[in-house]
Amino acid sequence: MSAQKEITFATDDELTFGKWLNNIWVGLSTVLKGMGITFKYIYNVKPVTIEYPEVREELPANSRSRLFNDAENCISCYQCATACPVDCIYITAKRREMDAPALKTSDGTAIKLDLLQYTIDTALCCYCGLCTTVCPTECLTHTTDYEFAQYTLDEMKYDYLATDIRAWRERIVK
Amino acid sequence: MEFVNESQEKIKSDLLTVNMGPQHPATHGVLRVEIKTDSEIVSEAIPHIGYLHRCMEKHSENLDYRGVIPFTDRMDYLAAMSMEWGYSLAVEKMLGTEVPERAEYLRVIIGELQRIASHLLFYGVYAIDLGAFSPFLYAFQDREEILRLFEEISGARLLYNYIWIGGVWNDVDDDQLRRISKFCDKMEENMKKYHSLVGMNKIFRERTANVGVVNEKMAYQYGATGAVLRGSGVKWDLRKDRTYGIYDKFDFDVPVGTGEMGTLGDCWDRYDVRVREVFESIKIIRQALEGIEAGPIMGKVSKIIKPPKGEIYMRTECPRGELGYHLVSDGKAKPYRLKVKSSCFTHVSMLGELGKGQMIADFVATIGSIDIVLGEVDR
Repeated sequence: MSAQKEITFATDDELTFGKWLNNIWVGLSTVLKGMGITFKYIYNVKPVTIEYPEVREELPANSRSRLFNDAENCISCYQCATACPVDCIYITAKRREMDAPALKTSDGTAIKLDLLQYTIDTALCCYCGLCTTVCPTECLTHTTDYEFAQYTLDEMKYDYLATDIRAWRERIVK
Repeated sequence: MEFVNESQEKIKSDLLTVNMGPQHPATHGVLRVEIKTDSEIVSEAIPHIGYLHRCMEKHSENLDYRGVIPFTDRMDYLAAMSMEWGYSLAVEKMLGTEVPERAEYLRVIIGELQRIASHLLFYGVYAIDLGAFSPFLYAFQDREEILRLFEEISGARLLYNYIWIGGVWNDVDDDQLRRISKFCDKMEENMKKYHSLVGMNKIFRERTANVGVVNEKMAYQYGATGAVLRGSGVKWDLRKDRTYGIYDKFDFDVPVGTGEMGTLGDCWDRYDVRVREVFESIKIIRQALEGIEAGPIMGKVSKIIKPPKGEIYMRTECPRGELGYHLVSDGKAKPYRLKVKSSCFTHVSMLGELGKGQMIADFVATIGSIDIVLGEVDR
């Protein structure tokens, strides 16, 4: 099996002395022009690279990063879990006892369900923002925190009923 | 004893099979091209795809109509806005939703900015393919500005979920519009500079002119679209010929290949078409910035989207070519079938014919010039 195909290379029609000179001129002038543009970038150009660990970039206010649920204002309506395209929000809730004291969210909606579990698998989350837009009490929000690497996948599951989660939120949002 | 090699007259020349990719930096993602090489010459090139297949079409059958949008983002992750736009148009057409005027203008502005960002990436990466490194940095400097703007507007840098069914998610304030206008002025100047840096360079011209020629007939036969088709001299742009959105309000040209550096339809022509498209996009953005007025950004869409029974095929002009959505609805809250027609897929199929008889280095230039994104090929 051998390649019998004839290979043709694109060549100029006929290389005259004038063409030869012209080629040299075009080659030199265009390369020098390019070099000129490159040299202009040596001085008077602001560096754009952010030296990450030393300089931390502030993300814009509506940047969609790690989710935060304010569990006290959550009415366990399951709308976020339904809207989520990757099903990364786990909610467990129980009907509130009849004799328990009435609870209200900060915007006045009555809480009729006791929230037992509210976990978001951040490793699975695709940060599309569909869950935050359907939230009726606006307790589920995107924060601008982008540093949440963990050693195991299990640690990426954030339990928003845990006690230390609020401290994390306060560290991010001043 | 005589040592005579009887077969000396016909030395066996066997073909060597080389795998280019899936981790090759010049294949733009995870494309594997099986190359049968005859020394430095490609005698056969077989593209293998499927390394980035994520079942997007099947996934969307289990999601509601809004939930599909984040998945369409992930097809062509370098032009996610254009992907969303096509899908939203398809569903809106089925529902018969009226999109507010301001939302339409915002879509055009954002869509054209995305086109510029995508072409800037092509420009930078193509220069890297051919051995020039600094143009990549210049292009990314400007692209970064667009991405920053997108992040402020939509909340994400690459996968936006910004264009929703019925309108857009977030409004843009006057300050941001002024920044876009300022960026256009800067970009126009910079792109001229970049073109003289790379496009007019003698070495670049020698590498791309007369290489990977797609003539008009071949482009039609393979069903090429976008810059590959226009590079072959065919004036076909869906924004002009099958107008969607409010593109009929704007005055712009459709750049086509001229063959001024070599043959019509070579790599240089495809590069040139993309560079000139950036200027046309700037022209459109300027007109849109003049025409935009205050108003609502979201049309009336019910909470649960249930398009009537039927099917629709909607196609839009994306930076890489024509993107089609074939949406079949059975009247329920989830799509019955969503078929995506991707332009990159058809362009990848051209590689086999284009590669034949080329040098390996020219083959790299050819892959770069058709500008494929494997996320869109495999979906």
